[in-house]
Amino acid sequence: MKAIPFLLPFFIAYLIFTIFPIFKGLEMSLYDWSLVRKLDFVGLENYKEMFTDPHFWRTLWNTTLFVILTTPTMVILALGLALFANMRTRLQTFLRSAYFLPSILSVAVISFIIIFMLQPYSGFVNTILHTIGIETELFWLTDKVLAWITIVVVTLWWTVGFNMVLFLAGLQDIPESLYEASEIDGASRWEQFRHITLPQLMPIGRVILLLQILASYKVFAQILLITGGGPGGATRPLIQYIYEVGFRQNNLGYAATMSYALFFILLILSIIQLKAQRTEES
Amino acid sequence: MGKAKSSSRKSALLQRNRDPQHGLKVTVGIIIALLFLIPIIWMLFVSLKPDGYSTTNPLDWFMPPYTFENYTNIIEDTLILRWVWNSLIVGVITTILTLIITALAAFAISQMKFRFKKIIFVFFLLGLMIPGEATIIPLYEIVKNLGLIDSYAGLILPMIASPLGVIILKSFFDGVPKEIIESAVMDGCSHFKLFYKIVLPLAKPALAAIAIFTFIGSWNNFLWPYLSILSETLYTLPVGLPVFNSAYSQAYVLPMTANAVASIPVIIVFLIFEKQIVKGISFTGIKG
Repeated sequence: MKAIPFLLPFFIAYLIFTIFPIFKGLEMSLYDWSLVRKLDFVGLENYKEMFTDPHFWRTLWNTTLFVILTTPTMVILALGLALFANMRTRLQTFLRSAYFLPSILSVAVISFIIIFMLQPYSGFVNTILHTIGIETELFWLTDKVLAWITIVVVTLWWTVGFNMVLFLAGLQDIPESLYEASEIDGASRWEQFRHITLPQLMPIGRVILLLQILASYKVFAQILLITGGGPGGATRPLIQYIYEVGFRQNNLGYAATMSYALFFILLILSIIQLKAQRTEES
Repeated sequence: MGKAKSSSRKSALLQRNRDPQHGLKVTVGIIIALLFLIPIIWMLFVSLKPDGYSTTNPLDWFMPPYTFENYTNIIEDTLILRWVWNSLIVGVITTILTLIITALAAFAISQMKFRFKKIIFVFFLLGLMIPGEATIIPLYEIVKNLGLIDSYAGLILPMIASPLGVIILKSFFDGVPKEIIESAVMDGCSHFKLFYKIVLPLAKPALAAIAIFTFIGSWNNFLWPYLSILSETLYTLPVGLPVFNSAYSQAYVLPMTANAVASIPVIIVFLIFEKQIVKGISFTGIKG
């Protein structure tokens, strides 16, 4: 078998680090399992606990709320920025770079820039508000609503660049002839946008939408760093709770059980995504 | 190609002339661009202020005097450069290993004949549906049992088997003209020679796109290093930086200098490779 040496390196790494964890996770979810070792077999106890655990439902809801808040705004903002970045101007490269630049920064960097900019009293944002006459002191990260706004805006700012580039590629694939033909027919720019640009962007738009939902369900790092899940657990996402149960409460078994729940949500979403892409291609 | 481009530019020029709002739209685009850049520009200016500086006038942050002293302090007195180095090493090795193993596997599936080929490919495709975040707890247990917690190897090895890489490269290899491969085989070319002398050089754009993605992914990876690294000297940047920054709350200058040290290298790399990165995203984004 001449193919074996070619396949083997990938196969081994894939088996150990991608496939095996699924089965290992199933095993762990059936046990009391500490950070140090496997303890007792508990059957479906962990699953029973999960369904009645208010923290599980609360954090799953927070994650879902994050998906609901960021997905439509992300798609619209990405489309808008792509339209700006596609304009014929000498500043085209500047616009593209500016919209994309935050995406390359580490989550640690963007989180701490934001934390420091949003400090009460001396932070950059609040001092600007004071200068233009808004004297109310805003506590961005300790007020529930403001904390959510912060998380959503930061996420948009940090990650919209990727989606913008995807829309940009879609825009450039629209045949110029469509616009030329409609111009002869006397279509206005708004009509061109509605009847040519938007329908032509639908396929890539759907891909972006689904990728975005999938990615947003995995939210963790920026929330952990910016609000720590607070105030009072108001922004804590599911992955943070899984982490806390596993590594702070020393209960890997239950953490693995909740990971399984997340796994199934993501699995269903990605099957939908692959199906959508398949029909797109055919 | 060139002709098509020039004609589309011409018609675009026509369109621009006909759009009375072009100037307004460009202005709005620029304002948004500046809003996107302000936090980054602010970070850079704060890092140039004397240590301990604070102000309630937002414009003061951008005014001289400037000093580079903070950079010397950060580089000499903290582990941040070390963390940059760790992130760099982990990113580079992860990228190289990913390219090697995905290219080998993709070549076998695309160009070789063997039993169960279809089944193996589908098996690899399954990986696309397994999100790393949801298997991170058992992964921790597995890596712990392999004795790789708190090591470079533990950071790198779980990240290299990228099914997306295999799919992208396979579709690229499929596109290599049959005549080239047949004539190489006629000349008695071995599979391995065919792979690295002929097929691999033709796949450069796909390899570059995968390399850029793997590296950025590794550079920004937070959850896995956060779980698997315990010693300060092995921290990657995303894990180390918050530890450093959390010690400050109202003192702005040193944390922003640390952030700048962490960001300036990637900003420079981005500005150099901007075109390739943007092309790479549309390439992998649409294929993937």
